[in-house]
Amino acid sequence: MILVDRPLSGITVIEHANEVAAQYCGRLLAVLGATVIKVEPPGGVSMRTEPPLLQDDPPRGVLFEYLNVGKRSITCDLVTRKGEADFRSLLASADVLLDDTPIASRQGELAPEYVRAAFPGLLYVSVLPFGAYGDKSGYLGSELNLQHAGGEGFLMPNGLALELFPDRPPIKVYGHFAEFVGGMSAVTAVLAALYARDDAGGQFVDVSVQDANISIGCFAVQRLGDGVMETRHGRSFKYGGVLECSDGYVQVLVLEQLQWENLVEVMGNPTWALAPELRDPLERSRRGAEINKHMRQWARAQSVRAVVEKAQALGVPMAPYNDSDAVLGSDAVSQRGNFAPIDLDGGVAAKVFIAPYKFPQSPLSLGQGVGPAGADNAAFLGSSAKILTETQEP
Amino acid sequence: MKKKPPLDGVRIADFTLHAAGPFCTQMLTILGAECIKIETSGRLDIFRKPHPVYGRMEAATFDQVSAGKLSVRLNLKTPRGVELAKQLVGISDVVAESFRPGVMQRLGLDYETLSALNPQIVMVSVSAAGQTGPDSRHAGYAPLFGASGGLGTLTGYEDGPPVEVRHVMDHSTGLAASNAVLAACFARKRTGRGQHVDVAAREVAMSFVGDALLEQAVTGRQQNRQGNDMFNRAPHNVYRCQGDDTWVSISVANDEQWHKLLRATDQQQWRGDARFLTQQLRWQNRRSIDAEVSQWVAQYTREEVTRLLQQAGVPAFPSCTSRDLVADSHLRERGVIQALTGPDGSVRDVVAAPWRFEETPARQSGWTPALGEHNDYVYGELLGLGKSEIARLSEERVIW
Repeated sequence: MILVDRPLSGITVIEHANEVAAQYCGRLLAVLGATVIKVEPPGGVSMRTEPPLLQDDPPRGVLFEYLNVGKRSITCDLVTRKGEADFRSLLASADVLLDDTPIASRQGELAPEYVRAAFPGLLYVSVLPFGAYGDKSGYLGSELNLQHAGGEGFLMPNGLALELFPDRPPIKVYGHFAEFVGGMSAVTAVLAALYARDDAGGQFVDVSVQDANISIGCFAVQRLGDGVMETRHGRSFKYGGVLECSDGYVQVLVLEQLQWENLVEVMGNPTWALAPELRDPLERSRRGAEINKHMRQWARAQSVRAVVEKAQALGVPMAPYNDSDAVLGSDAVSQRGNFAPIDLDGGVAAKVFIAPYKFPQSPLSLGQGVGPAGADNAAFLGSSAKILTETQEP
Repeated sequence: MKKKPPLDGVRIADFTLHAAGPFCTQMLTILGAECIKIETSGRLDIFRKPHPVYGRMEAATFDQVSAGKLSVRLNLKTPRGVELAKQLVGISDVVAESFRPGVMQRLGLDYETLSALNPQIVMVSVSAAGQTGPDSRHAGYAPLFGASGGLGTLTGYEDGPPVEVRHVMDHSTGLAASNAVLAACFARKRTGRGQHVDVAAREVAMSFVGDALLEQAVTGRQQNRQGNDMFNRAPHNVYRCQGDDTWVSISVANDEQWHKLLRATDQQQWRGDARFLTQQLRWQNRRSIDAEVSQWVAQYTREEVTRLLQQAGVPAFPSCTSRDLVADSHLRERGVIQALTGPDGSVRDVVAAPWRFEETPARQSGWTPALGEHNDYVYGELLGLGKSEIARLSEERVIW
């Protein structure tokens, strides 16, 4: 059975955001079906033209396009009376305000007390690096800082990379991982507050990107309670992990006895692995370095595709380290329809990743790429609204 | 009137195992749902058991994905066990599972069967590669999801191998699944219909590199491993401070922040250095900047560097250990770190709700349930079984 509407169809979100986390939250709400209206300053947010670029003229930032697909854009100059009035009119018919203005600048139309009093049914969802409350709520935090503020930054890398470069600084997870996690945490908060809105009405919700990352890194706190403070050096898997093959890398991790026995079979039952004492998982753990030496030597003669197929056929957890080409070209991606072809503004044809979840009964879709800043002024601010390209007089 | 958490009144039949699925239902539990974790002593959740591969001989990491849940024993290998599972689904709003695709079907607990019993049920299936597609039966753990989804491949030193993305990969998958469940629950509130949502950990990893995939698809340019670099930002790295294995992260994104850094550090020689005059030059000479900043940072503690640079308007933050996190006043004040007292009087620090709701506060963390601790409440009070029947089913290894 197909339920025609996407889960959030009919919900309107006003997104007033410059940073990655809140924009990613807005992006996910849009793909889930909400109408997300991006409120930009005259000329648009600076991220629109931040490199790397999809095209040079006019400049179109890759990250901006990824974060804003499916949204509508209006320009609104919040330091003018007209801008304030426009913003109020948007809030009057909205369900959610998503805002990442630093707390020191949350004044006038963005002051939480004002918004709560003037729009009692609205969910005002604040998304800030360190939250809206607490002694560090005014701190600045970029992606790199937030990975380290959440605890995971200190713990990376492990395994092979750490063995090769034990004295280098800790390393970040690629891209905007911590901020995307903050965005997903904000989606959970928005949806929970929407779910409760019939009973609880509107409210202020405080989302911290640091908190979200501490939350997904919670095992480090648990282990501390067990008496172990984790470090990069202490948490590497004792054996397995990243293996270099003849044409790339694979990851293998065996946690169950049967998985180990089948891995031995995948490796062709070598004499060293058949030693009776290695049937004992604790002994394997103790002799991890020796096992790794053998496994790495074996792996170098294997091709990624063949060895992963053989391992998975026997239920051994092994996967290839796919690069972007391999991801985009995989059969799984094509069969599962993870990407949608869309025309970005200016006629750029693009395949864009849809969402980290699938709703078979109400399929998610991306809509269109976001238009130029202010492209939707007439639709949302009235037919006479002009597109603002520069700051107006108050 | 006491304020209620947002998911007050929502009940979850939770068949999930390991980390990703349980983290999803943990988020929903913190948000106020009543979560019934369905377990069996016939095959314990791998996280209730020791993990020698981690070099640890005690149960690894169960509490943080189980706290506050109810635990029942149920042997799904018996027909009566499956029947009881169906009854639990019949009185629930959400059913969550993370078996390998095909297992729920084999048990007779697939979505078609369950939605016929309870058309309002929202079902979430969390797996390595999704419920459909050529790899749907692939086995996997967190580092494998990161690897096949492209995130692990792009993580690493420029001249080194790819890097394992660990529990945060599992838990971000669980977080994504919590998005999906809540969206489906919200839709059900409006339409009266439940639905089945499919969360593939590999696709969650792909979502984290969606911008790199877009760039590749449109321009043909492929991103590679780049250490701590971010395009056009310098200094942008993690620098060693005074103390043992102590570091501070510093991130300068533009000219304005560079000039603030110059003022705060009072390093006059950087100001006139021809290599550092523009953002583009600083990016090109980022290794030289790293060397300079490293020397300056090495004189201070991470707290001193952070205080000085934050006051000046430059993003900087210590590289936090777990010990730092539990000792942090900001995090205690926010409530994301809490001290919890257990039934035996022992106290431990836990990670609690990562959000603050003004009107619908999330729950305080609960303690971890013992295996089958809530058999009587769930089978007796909720399903109406008598004490003698519960005892008989326990003896017959159904409630087991």
